[in-house]
Amino acid sequence: MTRRLTATFLVAIAAVLAATAAHAADPKEIPITIENNRFSPEEIKVKAGEPFVLVVTNKDKAPEEFESKELRIEKVVPAGKTMKIRVRALKPGTYPFVGEYHEKTAKGRIIAE
Amino acid sequence: MGATFVVTLREAFEAALLLGIVYSYLERVGARAQYHWVTLGGALGLVASVLAGLAVSFLSGPLLDLGPDLVAAAVMFFAVALLTWHGWWMRQHARAVKGDVQRRIDEARATQRLWIVALVAFTGVFREGAETVLFLWGLMSQTTISGWGGVTGGVLGVVVAAVLGWTIFRGGRQLSLPRFFAATSVLLVVVAAGLFATGIGKLIGLGFLPAGDPLWDSSWLLDDHSVVGGFLSGLTGYRARPTAPEVIGYVVYLVAAGLLLFTPRTAAPATDAARPSAGALT
Repeated sequence: MTRRLTATFLVAIAAVLAATAAHAADPKEIPITIENNRFSPEEIKVKAGEPFVLVVTNKDKAPEEFESKELRIEKVVPAGKTMKIRVRALKPGTYPFVGEYHEKTAKGRIIAE
Repeated sequence: MGATFVVTLREAFEAALLLGIVYSYLERVGARAQYHWVTLGGALGLVASVLAGLAVSFLSGPLLDLGPDLVAAAVMFFAVALLTWHGWWMRQHARAVKGDVQRRIDEARATQRLWIVALVAFTGVFREGAETVLFLWGLMSQTTISGWGGVTGGVLGVVVAAVLGWTIFRGGRQLSLPRFFAATSVLLVVVAAGLFATGIGKLIGLGFLPAGDPLWDSSWLLDDHSVVGGFLSGLTGYRARPTAPEVIGYVVYLVAAGLLLFTPRTAAPATDAARPSAGALT
């Protein structure tokens, strides 16, 4: 138990250290809008190997959850708000994302190349 | 309506499961008088969820961009520690009960540790609570007909999750005591392992841990975007394309918790030695 807790703390400390190092440089911001339960644009192209920030604005009257299983991102964007989502450096490939609360219409993908 | 039903059912199910387990646990060890600890923990979790929902809706700034994610990751690892602790505690009782045939939990030891069940209830509700609150709130602020259908579905999802929790509670009372302890321990360890891997995934998503390539792709078999896959991912941490840190974390936790909670003890540890004196207190 004590070991488990110690390990958790070590992970947390490592995380904070990594965070300080990783976010020293300002990553590129990429805007994306949610309107009528759809993303715009639905396709985002980014450079592989560089972390970036998605600036998600929700223009709808309902909250939406930006979710990408591939990117391990889940973030609620309340109605009328803008949230910044940090995305790690990606290997070349396609990474789909959805609005979890309106999965049928709110779909998009990030293409890293 | 169907979509919102699935969302809230999925979000509320874990909380209902944990509440069902801790309530029936208290019932089984003869500590029904202590139910209010669980109720209090759950209620505080709900209050904290509403406050977190309010904070996300009305505040803004850089703190909000990263803050909720860090809180979410911290809550996950905290919940893992708590569930392991609770499993450990149940194991002590399982042994005590086996030796002394339905001996009642002694009050002194109970009150000393009851904050753990309260905390399990709190984190269980709080973990997905803020999201559920925001989701339902958003639905209610929509006044269209489809919006009301959505609200009904969303509320029904929470209600069905609560009914499932209640069923677990009732079911837990039917099982024999050793079976109850064994079944819930296994369930809690699986939930905790899933949470641990999900926490690692969260840190990967934030860029704090390296991701690497997925170790395998089982989405052809069970996609985590599907309804069943979504439930499994919430409950057991299933991922169709898991990365190395997640798989390693999952396995290491399962092995460590398995050794801690399921290996038979040959040597008599301090806790066993303490049993007669604990009995003397009752």
